Amino acid sequence: MIKLSSISKNYQTDKVQTRALDNINLQVQAGEFVSIMGPSGCGKSTLLNIIGLLDRPASGQIEINGQLLGKYSDSQVAKLRNQTFGFIFQSFHLINELRVIDNVELPLLYRKMPAAERRAKAKAALEKVGLTARMEHFPNQLSGGQQQRVAIARAMVGEPQILLADEPTGNLDSQMGAEVMSQLLALNQAGTTIVMVTHNEQEAKHSNRIVRVFDGQLVQ
Amino acid sequence: MLKNYLIIAWRIALQRKLFTLINLLCISLTLLVLLVLTAMLENTFQPSGVEGKSPRMLQILTMLSYNDERGNSRHSPLGYKVITDYIKPLPSAELVAAVSLPESTTVYQADRTTDLLLRRADAAYWQILDFEVLSGRVPTAEDVAAGRFVLVLNQSTARQLFGQQQAVGQKLNVGGQQFEVIGVVADVLQLNSFADMWAPVSTYPSSDYQHQMWGNFTALILTRDAANFTAIKQELATAIVDFQFDDPAMWSNVTIWADTKLDIFARMLLQNNRQPDSGATTLLLLISVLMLLFMLLPALNLVNLNTGRMLERSTEIGVRKAFGASRQQLVWQFLVENLLLCSLGGLLGLAMAAAALGLIERSGVIPYLQVNINFTVFALGMLISMVFGLLSGIIPAWRIAKLDPVHALKGARR
Repeated sequence: MIKLSSISKNYQTDKVQTRALDNINLQVQAGEFVSIMGPSGCGKSTLLNIIGLLDRPASGQIEINGQLLGKYSDSQVAKLRNQTFGFIFQSFHLINELRVIDNVELPLLYRKMPAAERRAKAKAALEKVGLTARMEHFPNQLSGGQQQRVAIARAMVGEPQILLADEPTGNLDSQMGAEVMSQLLALNQAGTTIVMVTHNEQEAKHSNRIVRVFDGQLVQ
Repeated sequence: MLKNYLIIAWRIALQRKLFTLINLLCISLTLLVLLVLTAMLENTFQPSGVEGKSPRMLQILTMLSYNDERGNSRHSPLGYKVITDYIKPLPSAELVAAVSLPESTTVYQADRTTDLLLRRADAAYWQILDFEVLSGRVPTAEDVAAGRFVLVLNQSTARQLFGQQQAVGQKLNVGGQQFEVIGVVADVLQLNSFADMWAPVSTYPSSDYQHQMWGNFTALILTRDAANFTAIKQELATAIVDFQFDDPAMWSNVTIWADTKLDIFARMLLQNNRQPDSGATTLLLLISVLMLLFMLLPALNLVNLNTGRMLERSTEIGVRKAFGASRQQLVWQFLVENLLLCSLGGLLGLAMAAAALGLIERSGVIPYLQVNINFTVFALGMLISMVFGLLSGIIPAWRIAKLDPVHALKGARR
């Protein structure tokens, strides 16, 4: 499903070039739950961003569903992100000016879909995370756990094949973190492929496989 | 999707009140100036009311007489004889009127003298122009033919001379001639109808005017419709081929152009006195360029303001990109937001322009001015708002849409 071959990525600051990823080779099969772990600054999030096509590697190849991504245009990459991936971020990244229901509907705005169908799908996604009662609220009226559940609903509303989660419980207390993890596990059991960046060994143990990154390289 | 864009634009406008206020003021003040100008131009070139027949009217304001060999040139209003001999006989003309330019004339009353602007016109003038008669009547063909000393005043002049008394029926000494006021018309400020008082052309103290090639007259030519303009122009060109000057040794050629109002202004401003083309297209282009330049400075300010405002939303941009928004969709979103704000500014600008025009009218700075914000001005105002929105929105929207999603999600502004 996801195949990274010889992926490297450098960051250039004023005078210093930093190697963020160095010759990464990684495969994730459909339906897998993979955790990426490693110390801060080792390149975990960079790896996740490259998988999710939010960032481009300096060298190497990415295959998604057997399709080799070469020089894709901005609109082609946007379409692929929209239809293949769902994203969950550590700090939720909900749009505060929009109501919960509008936030969840957001990925569907970029598909040709009638408004009524969009609304119905957004409601169904909110129902799955148990937040139907809060759909008319604004994000800043919700607790952190509720906001992350809204973010999960948003990530899943378009029924993506792959869910990418960047430290999804990092800003939550243990009880709320456990709730979010159980939601992710349920999604994985329903067939969604999940790649999650985490610092938490306990959460990582729920996944099928743990990939460790150190100084931009995969370590066994 | 559009609804989503509009909702977010509206909420952000309400949340960032100071920015919204600055933005709206910037747009509406620019539009205020442009709309006042537009309303005045529209009123001049496409008048309604008294000069409502302008769309099927041509006029001749001046003639150019010259003899290039002798280096003689004279550019002046028409003599009455030119109108009667060369213009009135034009076959495609429905009506041709001769009217003098407004001349400052002293009005003598028992205890005071007043300097007022007087026009002398033939009977066709009153048929071509649709004056609103408030009391009495306007001169007839019989009045003109008989040389009756009858006078029409406008409302302000009637009030100025006679106060609350009925003006019609009053006797008035105008430039040493005794007239009877027969009518009062509404005040107007239009190219051909602007004056304080009107008398028949036949009331000139001497009949010399009838034989003069150069004088103080303009001709108004009414056609059945605008399609006849070309025919009139051709007939006029043919008629003046055999133009007879009083002094052929001094003058050999004449050019006379029958123009629309816009053509007249263009010819005057661009000094196109010898070419058939008045330069109206150039004039309109110049006006448009000047308006664009006038919009450019506030638009540049707004570009900076908008860029700052949009960059505050870099996380939202990152989220939208992550969930599938393309660069084009984001440009469109931010443009819609800016266009919405500019439309609001446009409506505010229209309201301010209407108030400003009302103030100018009431102040009397420009006598007899009556300018309204009609549908054309409203539509132009909204069009200008849209152009302003595009000018001030496209660069920030493009810059924002180009943000790299990873950096945007971190709230970075580059």
